[in-house]
Amino acid sequence: MPADRLDTTAFDVPADAEPLRCPDCGRPFTSEELLGLHQGYDHPDALDDAETAAFEEAYEAESDRLNVFRLKALLALIVLYFVLLMTYAVV
Amino acid sequence: MDRRPYRGIARLFATAASAWVLLSAFGPAAAHGGSLGAAARESVTVPTWLFLLTGGAAVGASFLLASFVTDRRLIDALHGWRRSIPALRSPLVGSVVRMLGVLGLAGIVAIGYLGPSAGLGNLAVLVVWVGWWAGYTATAYLLGASWRGINPWRTIARWLPTFDRDLPAVGAWPSVVGLLALIWIEVVSPLADAPALLATVIVGYSAVTLVGAVVFGSETWFERVDPVSRVFHYYGHVAPVASASTATETDRELLADGRLPVRGPGVGLTRPDLVSDSSEVAFVIALLWATTYDGFVATPAWRSLARPLVEGGFPAHLLYPLVLAIGFVLFLSVYRFAARYARTTGETYLSAGVLARRFAPPLLAIAAGYHLAHYLGYFLSLAPVLLTVLGSPLSPPMSVPVFALPGWFGGVPIASVLAGHLLAIWIAHATAFELFPGRLQAIRSQYPFIAVMVLYTMTSLWIVTQPSIKPPFL
Repeated sequence: MPADRLDTTAFDVPADAEPLRCPDCGRPFTSEELLGLHQGYDHPDALDDAETAAFEEAYEAESDRLNVFRLKALLALIVLYFVLLMTYAVV
Repeated sequence: MDRRPYRGIARLFATAASAWVLLSAFGPAAAHGGSLGAAARESVTVPTWLFLLTGGAAVGASFLLASFVTDRRLIDALHGWRRSIPALRSPLVGSVVRMLGVLGLAGIVAIGYLGPSAGLGNLAVLVVWVGWWAGYTATAYLLGASWRGINPWRTIARWLPTFDRDLPAVGAWPSVVGLLALIWIEVVSPLADAPALLATVIVGYSAVTLVGAVVFGSETWFERVDPVSRVFHYYGHVAPVASASTATETDRELLADGRLPVRGPGVGLTRPDLVSDSSEVAFVIALLWATTYDGFVATPAWRSLARPLVEGGFPAHLLYPLVLAIGFVLFLSVYRFAARYARTTGETYLSAGVLARRFAPPLLAIAAGYHLAHYLGYFLSLAPVLLTVLGSPLSPPMSVPVFALPGWFGGVPIASVLAGHLLAIWIAHATAFELFPGRLQAIRSQYPFIAVMVLYTMTSLWIVTQPSIKPPFL
């Protein structure tokens, strides 16, 4: 995430898209949450109170979804393990 | 560089040494350069589909496990870890190494023409395949890059004048073509059985390389065009010891203090500028495809696929390069498609080109894993032969000692392949966290690339389970 020197050729924004741009570096994002996270990680010193709050909120919201993802990943691992175990037992 | 040298040597070997039985038990044929293959070819007692499924599942499961690591500080701490060792910075050592490189090259060519005509007894064949391509290449990704210092052609080019013409803006495409050409020569010609032919190929390569270095300048040629230098340059980034050419930002600080940085394996692959344009992505894919191709043309499946074409009058010598090109384009298309699709799964406006560049370096860890799988056993068992023949290159003894590998060694190739994949998944994971602000976004962006890796593993494992035959119709 290059903060100060944004290379515009690295991005490919579709003509009909309306990206949210980072006010500090101009990097385009698909959602407000990702923009908030980016600002928090890459421009922590440039944040005002509202932006800091937005970053924290985005981080919390992401953590919740990440926990759900982790449960799914764990489930997938268990299923994978048992499917292979059963297959080896049968074959 | 591949299955052929190994096969050729192994055949000679059968008549020369009683240890043959042990060696063949370990791997019936060897594979090639980048490589899939031989050493890993073992009898599998489970059905092939289950073996492939397990391999694919192992890669998928490692991705799921890696996805539990979402703490950026942890990833940064692991990748920022450094130790340093004293660097040997004497100009004398550099000169001695360069001279040894040039003398070695001259010796290989001379012995190739003048030495014994049998592959196994000829020092040129042994040094090139056992010493250089199996052993030395492994040091490039296990220890550190050193080809830049040893490369005899670079040394010779220093003595020659240069015109410093500007290289047309062709990116790394000449080196992609060069790599594919070398692979093709290696597959269709008996380079391990005919020392004189090997010497001729080396002379031809030297002529092209030196003319190129004279016309375009040494730096330009070896940095951008020469495929061999590029392979070693990329492999050097897998290695723990960094040099000036394989250093990341963190390594540069240590190098500036006059010490050699030691980092975790594969950390060099996270360098953002390692693969800097689409032609370099193509080179990485070509390196992977080369290992697959080399294994594929020695399977019975290829024979039955090619037979109707050859019997229908299609010239076999055209068929080989044609399949080499088609397969490469197919591999590259699948990878590029994955990069485009990652824009959707990763919800990002980063261009597909950037994603393709940043996720290509992890594939080099896979290539290194396959190389080790192939060549470690090959190197260890034939190293005593190399040392013996080194003592009397022009009149080698009739019988040569071969190191008989212990039975448990059969597990080492599979472990190497797995280690390469695990490293690749980890590096891709770390790269995703560097590119994207969202943690879940970083995980999702990897889906298409993981699918490609699973596909690639299963293809490679399928080749490994096939019986190995001599490439047909040649």
